[in-house]
Amino acid sequence: MKRWQMIKLGLILAVYTIVGCVGLAFVYNSTSKTIAQRQEADLQAGLREVFPKATGFTPTDTVKSASPTIVFDAAYTANGPSGSLGIAVKVHGPSYGGPTTLIVGVSTDGTITGVKVLENKDTPGLGANAASPTYYVDKASKTTFPGQFAGKKLTDGFVVKQDVIAITSATITSRSITNLVQAVGKAASEVLGIGGSSPSTSSQDPRAVLPTADTVRTSSKPATSSVPGVSILETSVGTKAGTIVGASAKAKARSYDGDVTVLVGVSTDGTILGVQILECTDSQGSPILAPEFAQQFVGKKANAPLEVGTNIDAASGATSSSRGATALVKATADALVKALVGGGL
Amino acid sequence: MKRLFGVFVNGLIVENPLFIIMIGLCSSMAVTTTVANGIGMGVALTFVLLMSEFIISLFRNLIPDSIRMPIFLIVIAAFTTIMDLEMQAYFPVLSKSMGVFIPLVVVNCIVMGRVEAFSSKQPVLDAVFDGFGMGIGYTWVLIALAVVRELLGNGTLLGRQIMPLSFTPMIFFILPPGGFLVFALWMAASNDLRRRLLAGRKPEPTQDSCCTLPDNGSAEKA
Repeated sequence: MKRWQMIKLGLILAVYTIVGCVGLAFVYNSTSKTIAQRQEADLQAGLREVFPKATGFTPTDTVKSASPTIVFDAAYTANGPSGSLGIAVKVHGPSYGGPTTLIVGVSTDGTITGVKVLENKDTPGLGANAASPTYYVDKASKTTFPGQFAGKKLTDGFVVKQDVIAITSATITSRSITNLVQAVGKAASEVLGIGGSSPSTSSQDPRAVLPTADTVRTSSKPATSSVPGVSILETSVGTKAGTIVGASAKAKARSYDGDVTVLVGVSTDGTILGVQILECTDSQGSPILAPEFAQQFVGKKANAPLEVGTNIDAASGATSSSRGATALVKATADALVKALVGGGL
Repeated sequence: MKRLFGVFVNGLIVENPLFIIMIGLCSSMAVTTTVANGIGMGVALTFVLLMSEFIISLFRNLIPDSIRMPIFLIVIAAFTTIMDLEMQAYFPVLSKSMGVFIPLVVVNCIVMGRVEAFSSKQPVLDAVFDGFGMGIGYTWVLIALAVVRELLGNGTLLGRQIMPLSFTPMIFFILPPGGFLVFALWMAASNDLRRRLLAGRKPEPTQDSCCTLPDNGSAEKA
């Protein structure tokens, strides 16, 4: 009897569920077309917004995201009356309250043509202001948060609160959108072949940090650092007329919350000949990629103390990354001096 | 007719779901940062509440007591999804700004609470009026909260700049602590009004009798 009761209840529940599902199926069928059309229209409107002068858009699959968390949903070449105007990418990546979807346009002249927020699930009234057409980061010029990216050069730092104005009380949203825009900028500039757009692709040639040498070869004995956490990736030796004049090394170490990679060249008398900050994956670390930061090391003695705040100025907004990079440069230079003294390179 | 009107008015002040029964507070805090969101959420909840109460009251004799909760949930979830889809199709802007809150109507305690306490035991017409009254009661509170929060926290109303540009928005009001403060002040005002409305009519129902809800779920008859 009890079992029959349970089966009966189960059947009743099933009937309610089926009726509910059938009802939903009808509504879904009647609305799904409209919803898909709306989304397509949104996308087209967004593309037009970032490339108002384009005559059409051709899908392309050449633009690749370098980050696993930042996904390029679709990429389009914007066709102008006389050739390509640039690339527009629909991109989504994590933000405060869920994924944020943007359309970012990159022009062939190396600037961002525009940014449109398609979807943002961040806090209403705070992060959601990113998508609001009436929220101005600059009330005087009526610039919205995504609006400020229009015309921005890809070589800029893309650092929130420095060259990007943050949304009040929504720094996380501001940062995540800025990161998305920068990621698209980098990827698109590679496809478009715009040189110098991203400092991380700057020359990794050891020659650049060994200006006094006429030939540079790979060292037969790699330099090693006694500093824990510093790994020296490549060691090269610079010679002039057969005599060793200096050595360079590419080294990598942990920095603030990412890794930093540097290229350091040291002469036989222990002077730093050149430094390049090749890569910095710190969340706020991009300012140290500026050549001005690396330039400070040139001419300094490797055995002198190198310290941020005393003889090295921190790249503004990236003090921790500056410290990490400085420590790495010092450790690499020390290792090179040791290797040069030890001989056998 | 007078009885039905009583059921409707009940939800506005005397048994306001937010200020008196105190259910569904989480969503009310979250969406009231702008008036537009408050109105949207209020309308969405009113629709779901009205339809769910109507359907459940209609089938109240066909719902076995022991499985009433899952059936209520199915009905509520179905109507929420319907509304979500309709909004995406025909009110995309509103649907975007409401974001995650629409699916959350399913678990809004007001819907479950009213369905369980009222419409599963009351005739269809009463249930519809109750759903409408409770929905409006919820909506006006959301709008009242949002007006204060948007005006002081952002200097705008419905997205239009109201305060002079020299006014520095007080972000505090947009953030949750400000929400609680505004909520408490409105609740004090509303409860004062309620006390006056009920004065001399009958012994005031205590908080307890409100929250446990007597058989018919209506303080009017309690």
